Amino acid sequence: MAVYTFYIFDRHTECVYVKSWTPPTQAAGASPAPAISAGSDDAKLVFGTVFSLRNMARKLGGDDDAFISYRTGQYKLHFYETPANLRFVMITDTASASMRNVLHQIYINLWVEYVVKNPLAPVEHKGGAGIKNELFERGLDQFIRGMM
Amino acid sequence: MTVFSLVIINKAGGLIYNKTFHEGGLNKISTNDYLVLAGTFHGVHAITARLNPIKPVAQPPAPGSNELPGRPEPSSGLEVMETENFRMQCFNTLTGTKFLLFTETTQTNVDVTIKRIYDLYADYVMKNPFYSLEMPIRCDIFDRKLLSYIREINNR
Repeated sequence: MAVYTFYIFDRHTECVYVKSWTPPTQAAGASPAPAISAGSDDAKLVFGTVFSLRNMARKLGGDDDAFISYRTGQYKLHFYETPANLRFVMITDTASASMRNVLHQIYINLWVEYVVKNPLAPVEHKGGAGIKNELFERGLDQFIRGMM
Repeated sequence: MTVFSLVIINKAGGLIYNKTFHEGGLNKISTNDYLVLAGTFHGVHAITARLNPIKPVAQPPAPGSNELPGRPEPSSGLEVMETENFRMQCFNTLTGTKFLLFTETTQTNVDVTIKRIYDLYADYVMKNPFYSLEMPIRCDIFDRKLLSYIREINNR
């Protein structure tokens, strides 16, 4: 199992956190596959996609329905939304099982512990303020690498 | 085992067919909403293909030959979407027509079902001399064959 990218979007639809793990090269002999830049354009595309799919799921499945994941031939995107409209997105390879509980664990054990309970972090994380602290970064990296 | 509904979207993102097989599975939404949904999904599908984190790499030419490297396989867009209440499988044909099949979350072998529906489409829509391409599908025999095929699955 491989995790490619992880995003957090706040309730103002702003991308407040991005982290990438280098994807493996496809085949021996082929030139190494360059990772997509974790630039803001990709984050905007990811947000647009999950926002549209979430609305589509709610429209068809009722207001209590929640969008969980989608898969293409190359990757799988997992989605988890907290009641406060904080959205967690993880892009992995296609073979991985449902990561909804993993995203929930990241919310409980890392976000709440190291960002919400941090007295120095602001209430609104404009531009990612207060999230890029050492405990959160290290905890997330260890957690993801532990799964890979 | 329940198939809720089928939606067919043409290569321009227009809704050309929409049929509900099982009442109560999905919310009832108006035809206008279905048109909006088809257009939105068409756009989302294109974005999901672009978001591919692994850059497609062209197969290198056979060693010794003087050929140029071929084009890489284009990355596919969204294939399966899962939510708490339903599952949606998308089949994109080579010409860009999309078949969306909405089923229960636990449905299996949906790709077989969707290929069979594509067969029915090829046989009874594309071979109908009165059907104009990219336009809404109004073919009685396609409706009948599709309905009997889905009923067979839903009663299994």
